[in-house]
Amino acid sequence: MNIIETHNLTKAYSNFTAVSDVSLNIPKGKVYGFLGPNGAGKSTTMKMFLGLTKPTSGSFAINGKKYPNDRIQILKEVGSFIESPAFYGNLSGEENLDIIRKILDLPKSSVDEALEIVGLSQWKGRLAKKYSLGMKQRLGLASALIGRPPILILDEPTNGLDPIGVHEIRALIRSLPEKFDCTVIVSSHLLSEIELMADKIGILNHGNLLFEGTIEQLKQHVAATGYPTANLEDTFLALINEDNTRRGEGR
Amino acid sequence: MILSQEVKKAKRTGFIPTFLVGGLLAAILPVLNTAVRSENYLGLPGTPLQILFDANWSMMALLNILLIVGGACLMYYTEYADNAIQKMKSLPIKEGMMFVGKAVLLSTMYVIVLTIETLSFIFSSYHWFGLYNGFWLELGKNFGYVFLLGLPSIMLSLLIASAFKNMWIALGINVIGVFMAMMIYNMSFILSLFPFAMPFRIFGGTDPNRVLQFIGAAFIGIIVIGILEFIFLKVRRSFE
Repeated sequence: MNIIETHNLTKAYSNFTAVSDVSLNIPKGKVYGFLGPNGAGKSTTMKMFLGLTKPTSGSFAINGKKYPNDRIQILKEVGSFIESPAFYGNLSGEENLDIIRKILDLPKSSVDEALEIVGLSQWKGRLAKKYSLGMKQRLGLASALIGRPPILILDEPTNGLDPIGVHEIRALIRSLPEKFDCTVIVSSHLLSEIELMADKIGILNHGNLLFEGTIEQLKQHVAATGYPTANLEDTFLALINEDNTRRGEGR
Repeated sequence: MILSQEVKKAKRTGFIPTFLVGGLLAAILPVLNTAVRSENYLGLPGTPLQILFDANWSMMALLNILLIVGGACLMYYTEYADNAIQKMKSLPIKEGMMFVGKAVLLSTMYVIVLTIETLSFIFSSYHWFGLYNGFWLELGKNFGYVFLLGLPSIMLSLLIASAFKNMWIALGINVIGVFMAMMIYNMSFILSLFPFAMPFRIFGGTDPNRVLQFIGAAFIGIIVIGILEFIFLKVRRSFE
Protein backbone atom coordinates (compact mmCIF):
# COMPACT_ATOMS: atom_id res chain seq x y z
CA MET A 1 0.00 0.00 0.00
CA ASN A 2 1.33 3.41 -0.96
CA ILE A 3 1.22 6.15 1.64
CA ILE A 4 2.28 8.84 -0.84
CA GLU A 5 1.32 8.91 -4.49
CA THR A 6 2.04 11.64 -6.98
CA HIS A 7 0.60 11.93 -10.45
CA ASN A 8 2.54 13.90 -13.05
CA LEU A 9 3.69 16.35 -10.41
CA THR A 10 5.28 19.39 -12.03
CA LYS A 11 6.79 22.57 -10.73
CA ALA A 12 7.82 25.11 -13.31
CA TYR A 13 9.30 28.53 -12.73
CA SER A 14 9.42 31.21 -15.38
CA ASN A 15 12.62 30.00 -17.02
CA PHE A 16 13.02 26.38 -15.95
CA THR A 17 11.16 23.30 -14.80
CA ALA A 18 12.32 22.07 -11.40
CA VAL A 19 10.11 18.99 -11.32
CA SER A 20 8.62 17.49 -14.47
CA ASP A 21 5.73 15.00 -14.57
CA VAL A 22 6.96 13.00 -11.61
CA SER A 23 4.82 10.07 -10.54
CA LEU A 24 6.03 8.51 -7.31
CA ASN A 25 4.75 5.55 -5.34
CA ILE A 26 6.02 5.55 -1.78
CA PRO A 27 5.11 2.44 0.22
CA LYS A 28 3.87 2.61 3.78
CA GLY A 29 6.20 1.64 6.60
CA LYS A 30 9.38 1.77 4.52
CA VAL A 31 12.36 4.07 4.06
CA TYR A 32 12.14 5.68 0.63
CA GLY A 33 15.37 7.13 -0.69
CA PHE A 34 15.11 10.14 -2.90
CA LEU A 35 18.27 10.36 -4.90
CA GLY A 36 19.66 12.86 -7.34
CA PRO A 37 22.44 15.38 -7.91
CA ASN A 38 22.13 18.91 -6.56
CA GLY A 39 19.35 20.77 -8.34
CA ALA A 40 17.59 17.58 -9.45
CA GLY A 41 14.30 18.66 -7.86
CA LYS A 42 14.37 16.59 -4.66
CA SER A 43 13.85 19.51 -2.29
CA THR A 44 11.23 21.07 -4.55
CA THR A 45 9.25 17.82 -4.58
CA MET A 46 9.48 17.58 -0.81
CA LYS A 47 8.46 21.22 -0.46
CA MET A 48 5.40 20.50 -2.57
CA PHE A 49 4.46 17.66 -0.20
CA LEU A 50 4.47 20.19 2.64
CA GLY A 51 2.65 22.89 0.74
CA LEU A 52 5.70 25.15 0.93
CA THR A 53 5.53 25.56 -2.81
CA LYS A 54 2.56 25.13 -5.07
CA PRO A 55 2.66 22.52 -7.86
CA THR A 56 2.25 23.98 -11.34
CA SER A 57 0.35 20.87 -12.42
CA GLY A 58 -0.26 17.31 -11.35
CA SER A 59 -1.53 16.07 -8.03
CA PHE A 60 -0.52 14.11 -4.99
CA ALA A 61 -2.13 12.39 -2.04
CA ILE A 62 -0.57 11.65 1.33
CA ASN A 63 -2.15 8.95 3.43
CA GLY A 64 -5.32 9.27 1.37
CA LYS A 65 -5.49 13.03 1.83
CA LYS A 66 -5.33 15.23 -1.20
CA TYR A 67 -3.44 18.47 -1.63
CA PRO A 68 -4.46 21.29 -1.48
CA ASN A 69 -7.87 20.57 0.10
CA ASP A 70 -6.45 18.56 3.01
CA ARG A 71 -3.21 20.50 3.47
CA ILE A 72 -3.62 21.07 7.21
CA GLN A 73 -4.60 17.42 7.74
CA ILE A 74 -1.52 16.33 5.77
CA LEU A 75 0.76 18.55 7.88
CA LYS A 76 -0.64 17.02 11.08
CA GLU A 77 0.72 13.65 9.94
CA VAL A 78 4.06 14.76 8.53
CA GLY A 79 7.24 15.59 10.38
CA SER A 80 9.70 17.39 8.17
CA PHE A 81 13.21 18.66 7.84
CA ILE A 82 13.82 20.60 4.64
CA GLU A 83 17.17 21.79 3.25
CA SER A 84 18.69 23.27 6.39
CA PRO A 85 17.75 23.42 10.05
CA ALA A 86 15.04 26.02 10.68
CA PHE A 87 14.74 27.36 14.21
CA TYR A 88 14.46 30.44 16.42
CA GLY A 89 18.05 31.35 17.25
CA ASN A 90 16.99 33.37 20.29
CA LEU A 91 15.39 30.32 21.89
CA SER A 92 16.98 27.22 23.37
CA GLY A 93 16.63 23.84 21.69
CA GLU A 94 14.01 22.88 24.25
CA GLU A 95 12.04 26.10 23.76
CA ASN A 96 12.12 25.63 19.98
CA LEU A 97 10.62 22.17 20.32
CA ASP A 98 8.09 23.41 22.86
CA ILE A 99 6.69 25.85 20.30
CA ILE A 100 6.21 22.98 17.85
CA ARG A 101 4.77 20.78 20.61
CA LYS A 102 2.10 23.34 21.41
CA ILE A 103 1.12 23.73 17.77
CA LEU A 104 0.85 19.96 17.40
CA ASP A 105 -0.95 19.70 20.75
CA LEU A 106 1.43 17.07 22.09
CA PRO A 107 2.20 16.15 25.71
CA LYS A 108 5.14 17.90 27.40
CA SER A 109 7.12 14.67 27.52
CA SER A 110 7.37 14.64 23.71
CA VAL A 111 10.01 17.42 23.81
CA ASP A 112 12.37 15.42 26.01
CA GLU A 113 11.71 12.30 24.00
CA ALA A 114 12.63 14.03 20.71
CA LEU A 115 15.76 15.53 22.27
CA GLU A 116 16.73 12.12 23.62
CA ILE A 117 16.29 10.42 20.25
CA VAL A 118 18.67 12.81 18.49
CA GLY A 119 21.11 12.93 21.41
CA LEU A 120 20.61 16.58 22.25
CA SER A 121 19.28 16.30 25.82
CA GLN A 122 22.53 17.51 27.31
CA TRP A 123 22.39 20.78 25.37
CA LYS A 124 18.64 21.41 25.46
CA GLY A 125 19.04 24.60 27.48
CA ARG A 126 21.61 26.17 25.15
CA LEU A 127 20.45 28.84 22.69
CA ALA A 128 19.96 27.35 19.23
CA LYS A 129 22.08 30.07 17.62
CA LYS A 130 25.01 28.87 19.72
CA TYR A 131 24.67 25.27 18.53
CA SER A 132 27.29 23.80 16.22
CA LEU A 133 26.18 22.88 12.69
CA GLY A 134 25.78 19.26 13.71
CA MET A 135 23.72 20.21 16.75
CA LYS A 136 21.49 22.43 14.60
CA GLN A 137 21.02 19.50 12.26
CA ARG A 138 20.02 17.32 15.19
CA LEU A 139 17.60 19.98 16.41
CA GLY A 140 16.05 20.04 12.94
CA LEU A 141 15.68 16.27 13.09
CA ALA A 142 14.16 16.47 16.57
CA SER A 143 11.61 18.99 15.30
CA ALA A 144 10.64 16.50 12.59
CA LEU A 145 10.50 13.52 14.94
CA ILE A 146 8.58 15.16 17.76
CA GLY A 147 5.28 13.43 18.42
CA ARG A 148 6.28 10.40 16.30
CA PRO A 149 4.48 11.43 13.11
CA PRO A 150 3.44 8.59 10.79
CA ILE A 151 5.32 10.19 7.88
CA LEU A 152 8.77 11.75 7.96
CA ILE A 153 10.20 13.86 5.18
CA LEU A 154 13.92 14.40 5.65
CA ASP A 155 15.91 16.41 3.14
CA GLU A 156 19.61 15.56 3.34
CA PRO A 157 19.47 15.02 7.11
CA THR A 158 23.12 14.06 7.51
CA ASN A 159 24.55 17.29 6.06
CA GLY A 160 27.01 18.90 8.43
CA LEU A 161 27.30 15.91 10.74
CA ASP A 162 30.62 14.31 11.62
CA PRO A 163 31.16 10.65 10.60
CA ILE A 164 29.91 9.36 13.95
CA GLY A 165 26.86 11.61 13.72
CA VAL A 166 26.21 10.43 10.15
CA HIS A 167 26.37 6.82 11.29
CA GLU A 168 24.04 7.50 14.24
CA ILE A 169 21.46 9.32 12.15
CA ARG A 170 21.57 6.68 9.41
CA ALA A 171 20.99 3.96 12.01
CA LEU A 172 18.19 6.03 13.52
CA ILE A 173 16.47 6.53 10.16
CA ARG A 174 16.84 2.87 9.34
CA SER A 175 15.21 1.93 12.63
CA LEU A 176 12.34 4.44 12.52
CA PRO A 177 9.77 2.41 10.54
CA GLU A 178 10.04 -0.44 13.00
CA LYS A 179 10.38 1.68 16.15
CA PHE A 180 7.74 4.31 15.43
CA ASP A 181 5.68 2.55 12.78
CA CYS A 182 6.30 5.34 10.31
CA THR A 183 7.26 5.93 6.70
CA VAL A 184 10.45 7.86 5.97
CA ILE A 185 11.26 9.75 2.79
CA VAL A 186 14.90 10.70 2.87
CA SER A 187 16.82 12.54 0.20
CA SER A 188 20.49 12.54 -0.60
CA HIS A 189 22.82 13.06 -3.51
CA LEU A 190 24.87 10.05 -2.39
CA LEU A 191 23.75 6.62 -3.50
CA SER A 192 26.13 5.04 -1.01
CA GLU A 193 24.23 6.75 1.77
CA ILE A 194 20.78 5.94 0.45
CA GLU A 195 21.81 2.35 -0.16
CA LEU A 196 22.43 1.92 3.56
CA MET A 197 19.05 3.28 4.57
CA ALA A 198 16.39 2.82 1.91
CA ASP A 199 14.07 -0.02 1.01
CA LYS A 200 13.01 1.68 -2.19
CA ILE A 201 14.60 4.49 -4.15
CA GLY A 202 13.60 7.10 -6.68
CA ILE A 203 16.29 8.72 -8.83
CA LEU A 204 15.68 12.25 -10.07
CA ASN A 205 17.71 14.23 -12.57
CA HIS A 206 16.77 17.65 -13.93
CA GLY A 207 13.32 17.22 -12.46
CA ASN A 208 12.65 13.88 -14.20
CA LEU A 209 12.21 10.56 -12.48
CA LEU A 210 14.80 8.26 -14.06
CA PHE A 211 14.13 5.21 -11.94
CA GLU A 212 11.93 3.98 -9.13
CA GLY A 213 12.26 0.64 -7.39
CA THR A 214 14.42 -1.35 -4.99
CA ILE A 215 18.22 -1.40 -5.10
CA GLU A 216 18.01 -4.91 -6.55
CA GLN A 217 15.69 -3.72 -9.28
CA LEU A 218 18.10 -0.87 -9.99
CA LYS A 219 20.94 -3.36 -10.40
CA GLN A 220 18.83 -5.47 -12.77
CA HIS A 221 17.75 -2.38 -14.67
CA VAL A 222 21.27 -1.11 -15.24
CA ALA A 223 22.60 -4.58 -16.02
CA ALA A 224 19.97 -4.88 -18.70
CA THR A 225 21.03 -1.58 -20.20
CA GLY A 226 24.73 -2.43 -20.09
CA TYR A 227 25.93 -0.16 -17.31
CA PRO A 228 28.45 -1.24 -14.65
CA THR A 229 26.83 -2.89 -11.63
CA ALA A 230 29.85 -3.72 -9.51
CA ASN A 231 29.84 -0.32 -7.86
CA LEU A 232 26.46 1.31 -7.31
CA GLU A 233 27.97 4.79 -7.20
CA ASP A 234 29.27 4.21 -10.76
CA THR A 235 25.87 2.91 -11.75
CA PHE A 236 24.22 6.03 -10.43
CA LEU A 237 26.72 8.31 -12.17
CA ALA A 238 26.29 6.40 -15.42
CA LEU A 239 22.51 6.84 -15.23
CA ILE A 240 22.83 10.55 -14.57
CA ASN A 241 25.45 11.07 -17.26
CA GLU A 242 23.39 9.21 -19.80
CA ASP A 243 20.40 11.40 -19.00
CA ASN A 244 22.56 14.53 -19.19
CA THR A 245 23.96 13.43 -22.55
CA ARG A 246 20.46 12.82 -23.86
CA ARG A 247 19.68 16.39 -22.91
CA GLY A 248 22.81 17.65 -24.61
CA GLU A 249 24.65 18.41 -21.39
CA GLY A 250 27.13 15.54 -21.31
CA ARG A 251 30.44 16.25 -19.61
CA MET B 1 -2.55 30.26 22.28
CA ILE B 2 -1.42 32.42 19.36
CA LEU B 3 -0.55 35.25 21.76
CA SER B 4 1.45 33.04 24.14
CA GLN B 5 3.33 31.55 21.17
CA GLU B 6 4.30 34.98 19.92
CA VAL B 7 5.34 36.09 23.41
CA LYS B 8 7.57 33.03 23.61
CA LYS B 9 9.11 33.73 20.21
CA ALA B 10 9.91 37.27 21.33
CA LYS B 11 11.95 36.00 24.28
CA ARG B 12 15.47 37.43 24.51
CA THR B 13 14.94 39.73 21.52
CA GLY B 14 14.51 42.84 23.66
CA PHE B 15 11.02 43.25 22.26
CA ILE B 16 9.13 43.68 25.54
CA PRO B 17 11.79 45.80 27.32
CA THR B 18 11.94 48.08 24.26
CA PHE B 19 8.22 48.77 24.49
CA LEU B 20 8.37 49.35 28.23
CA VAL B 21 11.34 51.73 27.97
CA GLY B 22 9.79 53.44 24.95
CA GLY B 23 6.51 53.85 26.80
CA LEU B 24 8.31 55.35 29.79
CA LEU B 25 10.26 57.70 27.55
CA ALA B 26 7.08 58.93 25.89
CA ALA B 27 5.39 59.21 29.30
CA ILE B 28 8.12 61.49 30.60
CA LEU B 29 7.35 64.05 27.89
CA PRO B 30 4.10 65.56 29.28
CA VAL B 31 5.53 65.58 32.80
CA LEU B 32 8.73 67.32 31.75
CA ASN B 33 7.01 69.67 29.34
CA THR B 34 4.43 70.77 31.90
CA ALA B 35 6.99 71.00 34.68
CA VAL B 36 9.30 73.22 32.66
CA ARG B 37 6.67 75.38 30.95
CA SER B 38 3.66 75.15 33.24
CA GLU B 39 2.93 78.87 32.94
CA ASN B 40 2.43 78.43 29.20
CA TYR B 41 -0.25 75.80 29.66
CA LEU B 42 -2.12 76.62 32.86
CA GLY B 43 -3.95 79.58 31.37
CA LEU B 44 -4.97 77.96 28.09
CA PRO B 45 -8.65 77.36 27.26
CA GLY B 46 -9.93 73.77 27.10
CA THR B 47 -9.81 70.88 29.47
CA PRO B 48 -6.46 69.97 31.04
CA LEU B 49 -6.37 66.71 29.11
CA GLN B 50 -6.93 68.51 25.85
CA ILE B 51 -4.16 70.98 26.71
CA LEU B 52 -1.80 68.13 27.56
CA PHE B 53 -2.65 66.20 24.39
CA ASP B 54 -2.28 69.30 22.19
CA ALA B 55 1.09 70.07 23.71
CA ASN B 56 2.62 66.61 23.71
CA TRP B 57 0.78 64.08 21.59
CA SER B 58 2.52 64.58 18.24
CA MET B 59 5.90 63.73 19.77
CA MET B 60 4.44 60.90 21.86
CA ALA B 61 2.61 59.47 18.83
CA LEU B 62 5.83 59.56 16.83
CA LEU B 63 7.59 57.56 19.53
CA ASN B 64 4.65 55.13 19.66
CA ILE B 65 4.68 54.54 15.91
CA LEU B 66 8.42 54.06 15.86
CA LEU B 67 7.97 51.46 18.60
CA ILE B 68 5.27 49.73 16.56
CA VAL B 69 7.39 49.74 13.42
CA GLY B 70 10.50 48.50 15.25
CA GLY B 71 8.47 45.84 17.05
CA ALA B 72 6.88 44.58 13.82
CA CYS B 73 10.26 44.33 12.09
CA LEU B 74 11.84 42.61 15.08
CA MET B 75 9.08 40.01 15.24
CA TYR B 76 9.45 39.06 11.59
CA TYR B 77 13.25 39.23 11.86
CA THR B 78 13.12 36.38 14.39
CA GLU B 79 11.06 34.39 11.87
CA TYR B 80 13.37 34.98 8.93
CA ALA B 81 16.81 35.07 10.62
CA ASP B 82 17.27 31.31 11.01
CA ASN B 83 14.49 30.33 8.63
CA ALA B 84 12.10 29.47 11.48
CA ILE B 85 9.25 30.67 9.29
CA GLN B 86 9.78 27.69 6.99
CA LYS B 87 9.34 25.32 9.91
CA MET B 88 6.19 27.18 10.96
CA LYS B 89 4.82 26.91 7.42
CA SER B 90 5.33 23.16 7.48
CA LEU B 91 3.26 22.79 10.65
CA PRO B 92 -0.53 22.48 10.71
CA ILE B 93 -1.24 26.17 11.25
CA LYS B 94 -2.28 28.78 8.77
CA GLU B 95 0.41 31.33 8.01
CA GLY B 96 -2.21 34.03 8.34
CA MET B 97 -2.72 33.04 11.97
CA MET B 98 0.90 33.87 12.67
CA PHE B 99 0.23 37.36 11.33
CA VAL B 100 -2.86 37.62 13.55
CA GLY B 101 -0.82 36.47 16.56
CA LYS B 102 1.78 39.14 15.91
CA ALA B 103 -0.91 41.78 15.44
CA VAL B 104 -2.48 40.76 18.77
CA LEU B 105 0.89 40.92 20.56
CA LEU B 106 1.77 44.26 19.02
CA SER B 107 -1.67 45.63 19.93
CA THR B 108 -1.22 44.36 23.49
CA MET B 109 2.14 46.09 23.73
CA TYR B 110 0.56 49.23 22.32
CA VAL B 111 -2.09 49.08 25.06
CA ILE B 112 0.66 48.75 27.67
CA VAL B 113 2.53 51.73 26.22
CA LEU B 114 -0.69 53.77 26.12
CA THR B 115 -1.42 52.79 29.71
CA ILE B 116 2.00 54.05 30.83
CA GLU B 117 1.40 57.26 28.92
CA THR B 118 -2.09 57.59 30.35
CA LEU B 119 -0.66 57.34 33.86
CA SER B 120 1.59 60.20 32.95
CA PHE B 121 -1.41 62.26 31.75
CA ILE B 122 -3.25 61.46 34.99
CA PHE B 123 -0.26 62.58 37.03
CA SER B 124 0.23 65.78 35.03
CA SER B 125 -3.48 66.67 35.15
CA TYR B 126 -3.69 65.98 38.86
CA HIS B 127 -0.47 67.73 39.75
CA TRP B 128 -0.78 70.91 37.70
CA PHE B 129 -4.48 71.29 36.93
CA GLY B 130 -6.38 69.18 39.44
CA LEU B 131 -8.91 66.52 38.55
CA TYR B 132 -12.35 67.62 37.47
CA ASN B 133 -15.82 66.26 36.72
CA GLY B 134 -15.77 64.11 33.61
CA PHE B 135 -11.99 63.66 33.71
CA TRP B 136 -12.07 59.86 33.73
CA LEU B 137 -14.64 59.65 30.98
CA GLU B 138 -12.62 62.04 28.82
CA LEU B 139 -9.48 60.05 29.58
CA GLY B 140 -11.20 56.79 28.62
CA LYS B 141 -12.43 58.27 25.34
CA ASN B 142 -8.97 59.56 24.48
CA PHE B 143 -7.38 56.23 25.34
CA GLY B 144 -9.86 54.25 23.24
CA TYR B 145 -9.58 56.67 20.34
CA VAL B 146 -5.80 56.70 20.10
CA PHE B 147 -5.70 52.93 20.55
CA LEU B 148 -8.19 52.34 17.77
CA LEU B 149 -6.43 54.75 15.43
CA GLY B 150 -3.13 52.99 16.12
CA LEU B 151 -4.38 49.60 14.91
CA PRO B 152 -4.13 50.29 11.14
CA SER B 153 -0.50 51.34 11.62
CA ILE B 154 0.14 48.06 13.49
CA MET B 155 -1.38 46.12 10.60
CA LEU B 156 0.51 48.05 7.92
CA SER B 157 3.87 47.79 9.67
CA LEU B 158 3.37 44.02 10.04
CA LEU B 159 2.32 43.69 6.40
CA ILE B 160 5.53 45.43 5.32
CA ALA B 161 7.67 43.46 7.79
CA SER B 162 6.19 40.15 6.60
CA ALA B 163 7.02 40.94 3.00
CA PHE B 164 10.79 41.27 3.34
CA LYS B 165 13.30 38.72 4.59
CA ASN B 166 15.81 41.50 5.06
CA MET B 167 14.74 43.40 8.16
CA TRP B 168 16.53 46.58 7.08
CA ILE B 169 14.42 46.90 3.95
CA ALA B 170 11.20 46.48 5.93
CA LEU B 171 12.42 48.89 8.61
CA GLY B 172 13.49 51.43 6.00
CA ILE B 173 10.14 51.37 4.21
CA ASN B 174 8.28 51.60 7.52
CA VAL B 175 10.37 54.51 8.77
CA ILE B 176 9.92 56.38 5.48
CA GLY B 177 6.18 55.79 5.89
CA VAL B 178 6.25 57.19 9.42
CA PHE B 179 8.13 60.35 8.43
CA MET B 180 5.87 60.81 5.44
CA ALA B 181 2.90 60.50 7.79
CA MET B 182 4.37 63.20 10.02
CA MET B 183 4.35 65.58 7.08
CA ILE B 184 0.89 64.80 5.75
CA TYR B 185 -1.28 64.07 8.77
CA ASN B 186 -2.46 67.66 9.06
CA MET B 187 -2.70 68.47 5.36
CA SER B 188 -6.13 67.05 4.54
CA PHE B 189 -8.65 64.55 5.80
CA ILE B 190 -7.86 62.05 3.03
CA LEU B 191 -4.11 62.20 3.66
CA SER B 192 -4.65 61.85 7.40
CA LEU B 193 -6.26 58.47 6.73
CA PHE B 194 -2.84 57.02 5.81
CA PRO B 195 -2.39 54.30 8.47
CA PHE B 196 0.83 55.76 9.86
CA ALA B 197 -0.80 59.22 10.07
CA MET B 198 -3.85 58.13 12.05
CA PRO B 199 -2.14 57.67 15.44
CA PHE B 200 -1.22 61.39 15.39
CA ARG B 201 -4.91 62.31 15.67
CA ILE B 202 -6.34 63.27 19.06
CA PHE B 203 -9.85 63.04 20.36
CA GLY B 204 -10.18 66.38 22.13
CA GLY B 205 -11.17 69.30 19.95
CA THR B 206 -12.10 67.07 17.01
CA ASP B 207 -15.55 67.42 15.49
CA PRO B 208 -17.70 64.43 16.61
CA ASN B 209 -18.53 63.57 12.98
CA ARG B 210 -14.85 63.58 12.10
CA VAL B 211 -14.18 61.33 15.09
CA LEU B 212 -16.71 58.86 13.74
CA GLN B 213 -15.16 59.08 10.28
CA PHE B 214 -11.72 58.32 11.70
CA ILE B 215 -13.08 55.40 13.70
CA GLY B 216 -14.79 54.03 10.61
CA ALA B 217 -11.64 54.53 8.56
CA ALA B 218 -9.61 52.69 11.21
CA PHE B 219 -11.91 49.66 11.03
CA ILE B 220 -11.83 49.71 7.23
CA GLY B 221 -8.02 50.04 7.32
CA ILE B 222 -7.69 47.02 9.60
CA ILE B 223 -9.89 44.89 7.35
CA VAL B 224 -8.32 46.04 4.08
CA ILE B 225 -4.74 45.49 5.30
CA GLY B 226 -5.78 42.08 6.70
CA ILE B 227 -7.15 41.10 3.30
CA LEU B 228 -4.01 42.42 1.58
CA GLU B 229 -1.83 40.27 3.84
CA PHE B 230 -3.99 37.24 3.07
CA ILE B 231 -3.65 37.86 -0.69
CA PHE B 232 0.08 38.50 -0.34
CA LEU B 233 0.62 35.17 1.43
CA LYS B 234 -1.34 33.34 -1.26
CA VAL B 235 0.55 35.00 -4.10
CA ARG B 236 3.95 34.51 -2.46
CA ARG B 237 3.35 30.78 -2.08
CA SER B 238 2.73 30.53 -5.82
CA PHE B 239 6.15 32.01 -6.54
CA GLU B 240 8.14 30.09 -3.94
